Amino acid sequence: MRTRELSYWLFLAPVLLALGLVVVVPMVLGLFYSFTAWNGIQTGEFVGFQNYINLFTDERFLDSLWFTTKFSVVSVILINFIGLSLALIVTSKIKTSSLLRTTFFMPNLIGGLILGFIWQFIFLKVFASVGEAVGMESLQAWLSTTETGFWGLVILMSWQMAGYIMVIYIAYLEGLPNELIEAAEIDGASTIQRFRYIIFPLVAPAFTVSMFLTLSNTFKLYDQNLSLTAGGPYNSTEMVAMEIFKTAFVQNAFAYAQAKAIIFFLIVAVIALVQVYINKRREVEM
Amino acid sequence: MKDLKFSKGLMASVLLSAGALAACSSGDDGSTAESGGEQVTVDIFQFKVEFKDQFEDVVAQYEEENPDVNIEITTVGGGEDYGAALRSRFASGNEPAIFNIGGPQDVADWKDNLTDLSDTGAADAALEGTLDGVTVESEVLGLPYNQEGYGFIYNTRLFEEAGIDAASITDYASLEEAVKTLDSKKDELGLESVFALPGKETWVTGLHLSNTFLAPEFDNNVLTAYDADSVDFEYGEGFKKILDLQNEYSKQPTVSLDYSQQVEELFSLERVAIIQQGNWAYGSIAGIDQELADSGVGMMPIPVEGLEESGLPVGVPMYWGVNSNQDEEVVTASKDFLDWLYTSDAGKTAVLEDFKFIPAYEGYDTSKITDPMSKTIYDASEAGDTIGWVFMGYPTGWGQDELGANIQKYLSDEASWDEVVDSAKSAWEADRGE
Repeated sequence: MRTRELSYWLFLAPVLLALGLVVVVPMVLGLFYSFTAWNGIQTGEFVGFQNYINLFTDERFLDSLWFTTKFSVVSVILINFIGLSLALIVTSKIKTSSLLRTTFFMPNLIGGLILGFIWQFIFLKVFASVGEAVGMESLQAWLSTTETGFWGLVILMSWQMAGYIMVIYIAYLEGLPNELIEAAEIDGASTIQRFRYIIFPLVAPAFTVSMFLTLSNTFKLYDQNLSLTAGGPYNSTEMVAMEIFKTAFVQNAFAYAQAKAIIFFLIVAVIALVQVYINKRREVEM
Repeated sequence: MKDLKFSKGLMASVLLSAGALAACSSGDDGSTAESGGEQVTVDIFQFKVEFKDQFEDVVAQYEEENPDVNIEITTVGGGEDYGAALRSRFASGNEPAIFNIGGPQDVADWKDNLTDLSDTGAADAALEGTLDGVTVESEVLGLPYNQEGYGFIYNTRLFEEAGIDAASITDYASLEEAVKTLDSKKDELGLESVFALPGKETWVTGLHLSNTFLAPEFDNNVLTAYDADSVDFEYGEGFKKILDLQNEYSKQPTVSLDYSQQVEELFSLERVAIIQQGNWAYGSIAGIDQELADSGVGMMPIPVEGLEESGLPVGVPMYWGVNSNQDEEVVTASKDFLDWLYTSDAGKTAVLEDFKFIPAYEGYDTSKITDPMSKTIYDASEAGDTIGWVFMGYPTGWGQDELGANIQKYLSDEASWDEVVDSAKSAWEADRGE
């Protein structure tokens, strides 16, 4: 067994050490704390599963979980749709394609916090001014209701992530063998048929990757949420990550927040793995 | 051959691990080496970002006068982040000697790490009532930073032009009258609205406004609130009326209106006449219009219906605590520094003129306070025309996350006032019942 060689483990050691220190140890510690009455200063007594029992009746936590789920579903669909559309545009034979690629990717280079503040300005000021000018009620008072807060977050997230997802699709689209598409063309397949029956199945691996990235990113969203709506109005646009942070650092219920974080981790892990498993089966071998 | 591969692998991994470990440890080396000798190092971990530069200057001055003391300052801003950062500082073992604590809840949380400061000169000089929140069984566990107060800040020029005398506004009826007068003259005065109610800032509604109406219920004492098992909203009707008045005559939508819109965009540009804010808004107003901040604003109490007299809510936002886990000499040096800061002449000058604080200690030449809001507050607190800050004794997160959030619900017509009050009451009881 070559893998039993000492040098194999020695090569791995730095990575294992780093991973252990920043992932495994905090994870185990966190799991331990979630069974105590830890307040961030003293560990407190051991309370068993009490924290876990409490959180299933915690309306605010469940509300934020539901809000996050809705947000993720809508965002994942939109981001992948826009990302794939952009990828198809920039891989078609238009002249400005490299300029467009850069432009579409650009939002990704701006930090989430800054983006949130930029879009806050757009939603509050620009939307209101435009709404006033053209007389559209619906463009005014954005972010002051749950619905506009929700769509504000979706728009912000789609705008930011679509460019990134586009890059992944481009990679797969450009790797498609030309002869397959040509053959389909000669056989008389229309553009739509070519896309539906040739291109779409062949870029399926890209879906697996993109879905995984968008799903985990939208579920764990924090900074955009913080800077755009800060959970307002009345905490109705608060996502899970933010709810957990507030439980810990505003209410000082550190152990309880830790229990929520563990549950949140399990949910995200299960969804992401199931998604990858299902998508993997759909992929076509070339 | 195999040996060679092995040794190469060994070398590579040892190098990598060493690199990683070295990166972790290099942080501490510098500071301990240079502070050697007989110098005492006092680590200060404080949260007030606004006066960071001035504070560092004053500390430099102190270090010059006391060469055997070395003071290291770390500033981490914002209420929430500070609490988190302080906890991680303690968890890491690198504990600061002086740190900040807020109200009774912080005192209870940090009690084991706080030194009794009752033997300091500053504790003796502290104004009456300012030590209430940090006194546990005759032990004084914190020294006040300063005093702050809030109320309705109004634009004196606009009041004059509308023919309103601010001194005549003593109760809800006269306030409503004045607001209606202002509203009817909106166009002549160039006003967008009378008020700007920042519903987004849950601390304005959930902490400050509620405090005005809950303080009488708790005898103006933060500890009474901290020990209370329930809250009655005895003056809840007056609370609702003031909130409604502010909301009705405010720029809409109030739910997403924030501090910077309220103070900078609307009030400082004279597009609204009255806002509910505190003396800390001076800096924001002065940043837009220095003249307005210095001579064009006044502050009046928020009237409480059912109460004869209502004063300005004045309180201590933050205290200095000294870590009891430090060496004896560090604790002494920390106390000496705090004493010097608040009781020596040089310290007093800095507190008043550089920090622009409203002092929470006696023996200050208060004629040096320049901004009109701070002056009003200091005068009121000297005359005893103030009410306490009981919101520091609310259950953790209750004011902002519970009441403040529910007020947002009320403002967007998602909940009735009774629902807000009932939910707030039961949340208070649930928290204290545990």
